[in-house]
Formats: sequence, C-alpha cells, structure tokens
Amino acid sequence: MALDLRFTCPLASGLHARPASRLAEIARGFDAACLVTNARTGVTADVKSVLAVLAADVGVGDACLVRVDGRDEADAGAALRSFLQHELSGYEDAPTPVTTEAAPILPRLLDTSGATWWRGLAVSPGVGIGRVVAATVVVCATAPRDDLDDEAPIDPHVERRRIDHAIQSVRARMAARLGHRTSAVEAAILSAHVAIVTDPLLLDTLLAAIARGRSAPQAIADAAAHFSGALGRVNTPTLRERAADIQGLCVQLLDDVCGSQIARTAMALEGPSVIVAETMTPQQLLDLDRRWISGLVLETAGTTSHTVILARSLGIPMIVDIPQARRCLVAGEEVVVDGHRGLVVAGLTEAARAFYARELKRLRAREVVIARAAVGPVTTVDGRGLEVGANVSSIEELDAARRSGADGIGLFRTEVLFLRAHDLPSEEAQYQVYAAAVRAMQGRPVIVRTLDLGGDKPVAAVPLPPEANPFLGYRGVRAYVEHQDIVRAQLRAIVRASAVGPVQLLVPMVSSIEEVLWVKAQVAHVQDELAAHEVPFDRDMPIGIMLEVPAVSFVLDRLCEEVDFFSIGTNDLCQYFFAADRGNARVAPLASVTHPGFLRFLKQIVDEVRTRGRWVGLCGEMAGDVRWLPLLVGLGLDEISAASQQIPALKARIARLSAAECVERLAAAMECGSAEAVEALLDQARALDRPRPLVDPEIVRFDGACGTKEDAIRMLVDAFYAAGRTDDPCSMEDAVWRREAQYATGVGNGIAVPHCRTDAVTSDSIGILRLQSPVEWGAPDGQPVRMVFLLATRETSPDGAHMQVFSRLARKLMDAEFRNHLLRADDPRRVIDRLSDELQMAL
Amino acid sequence: MKIVAVTACPTGIAHTYMAAEQLGKTARALGHQIKVETQGAMGIENELSEHDIREAQVAIFAVDIEIEKRERFGSIKVVQVPVQEAIRDAGGLIARASV
Repeated sequence: MALDLRFTCPLASGLHARPASRLAEIARGFDAACLVTNARTGVTADVKSVLAVLAADVGVGDACLVRVDGRDEADAGAALRSFLQHELSGYEDAPTPVTTEAAPILPRLLDTSGATWWRGLAVSPGVGIGRVVAATVVVCATAPRDDLDDEAPIDPHVERRRIDHAIQSVRARMAARLGHRTSAVEAAILSAHVAIVTDPLLLDTLLAAIARGRSAPQAIADAAAHFSGALGRVNTPTLRERAADIQGLCVQLLDDVCGSQIARTAMALEGPSVIVAETMTPQQLLDLDRRWISGLVLETAGTTSHTVILARSLGIPMIVDIPQARRCLVAGEEVVVDGHRGLVVAGLTEAARAFYARELKRLRAREVVIARAAVGPVTTVDGRGLEVGANVSSIEELDAARRSGADGIGLFRTEVLFLRAHDLPSEEAQYQVYAAAVRAMQGRPVIVRTLDLGGDKPVAAVPLPPEANPFLGYRGVRAYVEHQDIVRAQLRAIVRASAVGPVQLLVPMVSSIEEVLWVKAQVAHVQDELAAHEVPFDRDMPIGIMLEVPAVSFVLDRLCEEVDFFSIGTNDLCQYFFAADRGNARVAPLASVTHPGFLRFLKQIVDEVRTRGRWVGLCGEMAGDVRWLPLLVGLGLDEISAASQQIPALKARIARLSAAECVERLAAAMECGSAEAVEALLDQARALDRPRPLVDPEIVRFDGACGTKEDAIRMLVDAFYAAGRTDDPCSMEDAVWRREAQYATGVGNGIAVPHCRTDAVTSDSIGILRLQSPVEWGAPDGQPVRMVFLLATRETSPDGAHMQVFSRLARKLMDAEFRNHLLRADDPRRVIDRLSDELQMAL
Repeated sequence: MKIVAVTACPTGIAHTYMAAEQLGKTARALGHQIKVETQGAMGIENELSEHDIREAQVAIFAVDIEIEKRERFGSIKVVQVPVQEAIRDAGGLIARASV
C-alpha cells in the first residue's frame, strides 16, 4: 500500500499559499492520508493543511516526496500527480518590478520643478495622483484587554461554538466574494485565504488552546502568534510574507468573536485618493472602493506579499519602504505616486503637475499600442499568418490566456475536471465551465479536447484496468465505447456550449477511421436529442482529431473526408515515433522533436492535410519553444498552441521572421544528420530575424501642431515611447537636449536634425515630424523650421549600416529638390518610400 | 585651386556630413577641386593622404572638436571654422580660403 510521488518545486517564489491551497483542496477531496516531505529541510507536512505545507518551506529547486496512503490512494495520487505536472508551474508570478540599486536619475524637468519627493521601492507600476488618506490599519491579532482581565470561568463549549461561528462566517464572507466577478488573481488569493481559515491544523490549534482553558479571543491571538512565528523562521521570503495573511485572517476571526470592526478599514473615499498606511493586508485592500484608489504608499510590506500581488493585478501604483510616510505626507494634500521611479511627490507645483500630466498621457498612449499588439494575430514580415493559441486546463487560466494575446484556446484539456472532483462532474457543471471559457475568449475559438484518460490517470468512476504500458494502452478514444454515458454527457455539455460562441471538438488518441465515425455518430445523436428539446447549439461545430498516433498519418486521405481539422500533439507523437518514453530519463533524449526524421514526418503530414484543404495546428511543447519557430513557420501550419506565458515572445519572433526563409531553413534542417545539427543550424540562423526598421509610420507624424521647439521634440519622443523605441523617454529627451545645448540643430531651409546617441533608445531610428506651422529653432539662416528629423542611435555596438543611412540622409537634406519632395508628400508611407529610394536602401 | 577639408561635429551623425556635402558641392561649382575627409561616429572616412595634402593649396577645417591625426597638416595653410559655418555659407568660406 501507499503511493509515492516525487516532484521538484519549479516556482521561483517557492510553494506559496495559492498553489499550496489548491493542493490542499485536491487532497481534502480524498480519504487517503497525504504527506509531503521536503528533502532539503527534512520537514514533513500534511498536504491537507496549507499552514503545515507553508511551514515546510518548499523553495525553488527543493525535491519533495509525496506519500499517499489509503483506500482511495490511486485516485488521490492521480489527481495530485496531474496537478503537479500540469498546473503547478502556472502559479509562477511575474517577477516583481523592483527599482535597481543605483537610483535612477531624476528627469530634469522634475528635478527643477520645485516639488518635494521621497524615494521608496516601486512594487507596482503606474502613475496616480490623489489626496492623501491616512489609514490606521491593524494587522496584528491581539486579544482585547478586557477579555484578558475577565475573571469569570470559561466554558469550553461556549468558546468552541464562538470559534466555529467565527470560522464559518469569515469563510462565508469570502466565498460570497468569490461568487462575484473577481479576477483570477483575486480569486486565487481569496481561495488561499479560505483554505487557511478552514485549515484543519488551525482548528486543532484553536481547540487545543480552548481545552487548555483559553477564551476564544485568546486562542485566536495565540494561534496567530504561533503560525506567524513558525512562518517567520522559514528561508523563502515569499513564504515568510504569508505571515501577514495569517495575521489578517485572525484579525477577522477576532472581529467576529468580539463583535468589533477592526478588520474593516472603514474608509469612505470620496475622490481620487492615495492611501498611506504602515502596512495593509490583502483583505483590507479588497474591501476598499477601488474606483477611488489612485495609489498606495506603505511604510512596510514585503515585495511579494499578497497585497502587492493584488495591487499589481488591479493596476494600482504602489510604493513601499518609505519609513515615516504617515508623518511626511499630510492628510488631504494632493500627491503623486510614481510607480515607475519609486517616488512619492508632494508640494506639487505647476511644473510638477505638467510633468505628470504628460507622463499619464504617455502611459495611456503606450498602453493602447501594447494592447493592440497583444490582441492582434501576427504575420511574418512577408505576410504569412500564424495563429498562436493557448493551452489551458482550467477557467482560472483564461484571464492570463486572453491578456497574453492568445488568438484562441488551442487546447482545453478536460480531464483535469474529472481528476479534481470527488464525484464525476455533471453535464451541467461541465457546460458551465465550457460556456465560461467561450465567453472569456470573446469570439475567439475554443478547442475542447474530450476526455483523455489512461491507465496512468485512474479515476474511480471511469474504471480503467491498470496496465504494464499505459501509454500504449487503453486510453483516450479507445475507452469511449465502454463508457458511453460519460462520453455522451461530456459531448452534450460541449455541444450546448457551442451556442454561446465558437467551439471546436477535439478527440484524443485516434488511430482509425472507425473511431472517428463512432464519435461523429455520438455527436449527431446528441445534437438530434438537443434539437428535439429545442436546446440551441451550432450544427456546424467543427470536429477534429489529435494527431498523435503515427498510424493516422498514413490514412490522412480518408480522414480528411470525415474530419474538419487536426491538432498535432508532438509530445506523444514524438515518443511513439522514436519508441522512447519521454518520462524515462535514460531514453527521453532519443525522442527529440528536432530530429530530421521527425521533421520530415511532420512535413509530410502537414503537406498532405493542407493539400486536402484542412486546418492543422500543433499543440505539443514544441510549440512553446521560441527556438523552433522557424521550423514551425516553415512547415506552413495554420496555428500553434502553447502555454500563455510563452505567447508574447512567440508572437514577437513570428513578426520578425520571413516565411520564405523559414521554408528554406526547414528544408536544410531536414537534410541534417542529427537533432544536434538541426539545433546548431537554427541557433546560427538567429540572423533570420529582421531587426526593427529605422523608420516606420509609427514614428512619422504629419501636421503636428507645435508652438515651440520643446513641443516638437516632446512630440517625437512620445511617438518613440508609444512605439516601444524607448522605454525611458525622459533620458532620451535629455540626450537630445544635451546635443541641442551645444548649438541648435536647425540647418537652414526649414529643416532641423535634432539627434542623440543613447542606449535609452531600443533600436536605431529616424523620427520624422512635419509641422503644421513653422517653429523657431535658432537656425543659422534665421528661418523657422517646417520639418524635423530626429536621428537616434544606440551608443553600444553602433551599426555601421545605420550610420551610413544617417550620413546619407544628412547629405541629401542639403539638396533643395529632395527637401521639397518631402515637404509635399501626402502621407507617412510615401515619405518612407521616398527616403528608401533616395538613400538606396530598404529602411 | 586644390582644397582639402576635414569636417567633425560633436555627435558625428549629421552635421559632419552636411558640412562635407556643402563644401563639396560649392567648391566644385566654383571650379575648384576638393577632397573632404569626414570624422564622424564611425571614424575617419575618405581619409586625406600625405599626397593629397601636399598637392593642395589650402586646408579647411569645419570642426567643433579636436580632429584626429592633426600632424598631417604641418605645413599647409589652414582655415578653421565651426561646422555650422560650412553649412550656412560654404561659398563665403571657400572664397576666404582662396585668398
């Protein structure tokens, strides 16, 4: 008896409260005892207790052993293993944006503005302006004085009831909140808190105290001290900062027991406000009216505390580590919280206000550009489209998928629903999940993969025989005939969801046409039943199959007649192709997706499917690796689907590749002798990526309305910032003005060439501004300026080719005909083309 | 007349080349022969040799900074002006140099 699972913690911040509470939630669904031992610390903890797991101090890289022992250990083990393999790494937070050691140089305009400022640590970006509201926030759970003095004898039964009531009501309040439309981050934090407040270890500790004669408030205060003490001693900083969560929860328990209102920060905010406090719990932040929170300033708070994580997910600028903040900042005074530079600015002068008004404008312009970039589908430089979808296993992951710019859900793994629940999820419960997924993706397609269970993932209600070789065994579609009821229920839920938005059905582990025909017959049956009851659905819902069993690749002609689309599952396809178990460290290297044989195999498949006019995507891990993109682009796939966090990087690289070159590169790869040779070929082919052009329409502005030279330079720098050609517009502007200060850059005949050499610019650029009405520039011929060319080049590794362009442009500007053409051009694209022609090079 | 020139502005991206362009065009239009060396961000281009300098009657330096390899111009007559001058009034500059 007893089952062992091993894992290594992949999270940079350790096994923190959110994944720990998920783990506890899963474990609590089973009777079997689940214990985890951290090999590094030697500490063993009950997986069902979040507090115990936190105290085990599982940090990044720690090897752990989970032992499951009991009647239902097989199911429990399968559920835990699925979480550890598929979901745990999804709890990685984005790294905290922390200001660097060397304090950034203050922008000149701010420095001379006459305002006062304090420097702290910026933990949440953004800029906010509001009136200071001082908050007295109690975060330490201490029993009220009169309770301690009470001489009356304590009745343990009464005290126990008070405790039970407190736990129930705090839990109910949080559960009610979870029912509202909370973001994924809020929901995760609230769920973690629910798990902590219902932690069996917490209850045991409280009851033990009561048995010893302590009153309910005293027991709670004791427990708070005990658990935060235990956490205070662990190594991993993130886990240490959880002590704050526990204190906050105990304060809420105390409030319920004592009838007090300490936990409620009861601040009626009337307008844009900057909250200043010693510290704050996430619960208190959640209780505030967030419409009015412009910024947060805390004297102390850990950089990975839940309050910080919440502030970031809510987009509230936040600064910490300003000691005496409450003394320095005057209540009611208007201040700016600058979450980029780590400054709180008070004593706002006109100049300071103007500076920040402009900062806000810039940030908004930049956000619009980024939002546009993240959302749109990308094409290669020669116009080939490639959709990038997200692989998800739960609704919690959908926010992240959409934000990262996923063009759809390329793979929604449904077996996770079945592994988590104690009982089988009902059709209705499944429908809610699939419908929610469709709604969350706002019109982008969702590919739902039907149940893919196998001998290695046993589920009590779906009995599958244990096998010596589950990967070559009774799994996926093979087991459907025997479990028709379960399959039909899932199909009904998916078909119903197709009425809400675009849904596609994907069947796993198909190896024959018969299996496809069987599934299609079930779907038709389900659709007829629903039609008979007038339940809406999409008759044209596409049905596709996973391409993972090699056999299928030789009957594609027949399959294309029955199937609407294909999704290549390279993980399994590759291991079957090479007859090597990817879970077996000794042979896993043999199953390499970059092996030329595998590439030829893929090409053959994709070519045939496309010839027959069917859609083909790829959803294995191969899709998530930016290095293999040239191969995938060269294959001519319609789509690749990967983990959400990979999507921005994938899209960015696709946009800089040329499909034609990728096709050539793939052909060369297929002629290589080994996977190593292919990888070397790809690495050296980094030159496949196009650098950013010197000019593009984003940094060409026509008819700019500027009264002064300052306005003109500012307009161009802002355009650079919105286009991502600088991340530090203040430094860039300073560099331009340093040159301007030597002598004005007007060169006569209405032309100005302000310029700079600075690494504040992310790539060499030529910004062009044509003015509505001429502007004084201090040019030697006294003429005002009609056209401005901002030349910006990076200081490190100067690019000779770019310098040549600049020098040629400079010479050309001495020619009257050239100048006149530019002054008369109709639109930015024409100007760029003209420049390319005249300078005889592609810009 | 044979003229040699060197242009060098502070950042070496724009004015250096604009001055070179103006000097070149204007000198040729006035019937002179000219060779212009630029000292810009990418270093020395169109470098003047000992021979070029010996053959010439005058050297024009349109510079805002110290030029490199100044030793080459030991014996020749030099007219030095700020870079802007060469851009603004190359004709006048050449006229003065040929006196």
